[in-house]
Amino acid sequence: MADDWEPPLPPGYNDAHRAFLQAFMARGTLTFREGRKLLAAIASASNAGRDGDSDGEGEGEGHGHGHGPVNPDSITMADFESWVRTVREAVEPLDFDVRNTRDQVRGERVWAFVNAHSDPVTQLGTARTPDEVAYVKRLLDAMFDQHNTPRMEVMAVDEGQALRASRPRGRESQAGGDADAGEEGTQAPAAARPLKHSEVLALLASLVAEGWLRKSQDGFYDLTPRALMELWPWLVETYNDPEPADGDWQRIKFCEACKEIVTHGQRCDNLDCTVRLHDICDEAFWRTRSARTCPKCGTPWEGNHFVGERAVTTRAGFQRGRGARRRTEAAQNDEEPVDEEEEEGA
Amino acid sequence: MPPPPRRRPQELEEEEEEEDTQQIPDHVDEDGDEPMEDADADAGGEMNTMIKNLVRYALACEFSRTPIRRDAIRDKVLGPRGRSFKKVFAGAQKQLRATFGMEMVELPTKDRNLLTTEQKRKAAKSQSQKEPTSNAYILVSVLPEAYTTPNIIPPSKVQSADGEAAYIGLYTIIIAIITLSGGELSEPRLRRYLTRLNAAENMPSMNPHDATAPSEKTDAVLQRMVKQGYLVKVTESRSAGDDEGTTWHVGPRGKIEVDKEAIANVVRAVYGGSSGELEKKLETSLKIKGRSRGGEGAVEEEEVEEAPPDGDPGPSHHRRHGRR
Repeated sequence: MADDWEPPLPPGYNDAHRAFLQAFMARGTLTFREGRKLLAAIASASNAGRDGDSDGEGEGEGHGHGHGPVNPDSITMADFESWVRTVREAVEPLDFDVRNTRDQVRGERVWAFVNAHSDPVTQLGTARTPDEVAYVKRLLDAMFDQHNTPRMEVMAVDEGQALRASRPRGRESQAGGDADAGEEGTQAPAAARPLKHSEVLALLASLVAEGWLRKSQDGFYDLTPRALMELWPWLVETYNDPEPADGDWQRIKFCEACKEIVTHGQRCDNLDCTVRLHDICDEAFWRTRSARTCPKCGTPWEGNHFVGERAVTTRAGFQRGRGARRRTEAAQNDEEPVDEEEEEGA
Repeated sequence: MPPPPRRRPQELEEEEEEEDTQQIPDHVDEDGDEPMEDADADAGGEMNTMIKNLVRYALACEFSRTPIRRDAIRDKVLGPRGRSFKKVFAGAQKQLRATFGMEMVELPTKDRNLLTTEQKRKAAKSQSQKEPTSNAYILVSVLPEAYTTPNIIPPSKVQSADGEAAYIGLYTIIIAIITLSGGELSEPRLRRYLTRLNAAENMPSMNPHDATAPSEKTDAVLQRMVKQGYLVKVTESRSAGDDEGTTWHVGPRGKIEVDKEAIANVVRAVYGGSSGELEKKLETSLKIKGRSRGGEGAVEEEEVEEAPPDGDPGPSHHRRHGRR
């Protein structure tokens, strides 16, 4: 390899793009609102330092026109997307990627800088202790295995459930059929130390602050768009059957309309049917169809069966109060009550 | 004993040599094992992979403020082709600059006079002929200063942006105090300064939003600063007069990330702006030349950069090291 080797870069790539990239990496995610503020700040900085370097301009900079601060409102979606495309092209050879998805709750589109082959270990391994990484793995198991059954696709955990994952599950996983999850479930405990409850709470809070978990008003933790963009290939690989028979229930499912992962949305009234739909896709989807029936099994679609925490919170049991909620859950997911008592002592 | 003049570290020599010999299979044996690695055809692809891995490794290290160690690079990135270090490193450096606007900077070695007497003795015994190199690197930004303001590049979100901001603020001000005290600060004096900063007992934790632990013990935070190389704590167990035994110094990472300009910025922020007199004092204290662009009394500039809302020395973010 010659010494004059130069890393491949998109045409016109300059310091403004590098600043955009560093800014993107520090934030982890960008929405268009944040992105235009950022681009305006960068364009303003470019304008200020224009005299010095004049090596090519970013595509978005046309709006800055020379001098002075740039108004964020002058940055269009097309500008923003073109910057994202350029940066993505620059990092792609290094196995990083920029993906985007819509927030399943708010509907806002979110762009994330992600590691192209990512699993919880590589993602969190550098900033967390191995015990914490093992805990995160157990937490994901709790979300996508224990609390994600054909009857109840919660894909979220409340604080109590998150605490219950604080110790490695012994003997066998609760997965039942799933050999994959079972294997990994029993591998981890060998090395992992249980976390103290205080440690779990601190970890959860920092995962929320870092933008991997979201805590809902009802106290449920689920994965943020950022985490889903980063992890969905791994989730599919880990929790889904690689060769499902047609119509088999799978743990990870995708939206009938937008084909992206559903962890918060609606499900077909027929609990055996595997069709899922985002709330945010709902309106546009039904507009294109003649009847409001499930496209697969034809059951009328009432839109009152849910994926996500509402699978719990819309139940009468939950609405009757905390105590009632605890009891229903305990009944649903045969948790050993012993577990919790032991842990309180930890 | 002065080291023999111009005696380069042996390793380096070896590698330079080896680069030349790589094309010529016969010579490789002489260097030791692995006579196979001259297959130039796939070397390009392999080299690219190694460069990519090193770039990814460097970014991952920076995430947790772990130094990028040469040993670890050999282990994790180079594997069997351990001898190509120099080329891979140079390639990764190019890639980091070109794509990310960052580069790896070697950490300074531990200061000789920071060693305790025992350590000095030990070092003297084992002293090799090598020039001391730390063989550890950190990643710094090489973007022009205009781009490194907090509204463009915010404190990293790792753990939490607010915790990160507080942490940067704290180590920056501590390093500024140590440096302006002549590079050394005794334990009681550090504590006194911390009391004035209302940080004698507690400091914000890395995640102030964590209801269960919004703050941390000051000692724990200081310990993290030591661990991450911002500070060095030297405890000399003297025979008598033990209480003055502990001193604080600036660590290797601290020296690079919080450079003189950053320290000057802290001072300007504390004094509420810049003035001719202040700049002159700064020049003397920090042994720097006047700011190239501002000249004396460069007040307008300060207002752009130096007005973090709560006296937090925000702009001295560690990635703003502006070397080019």
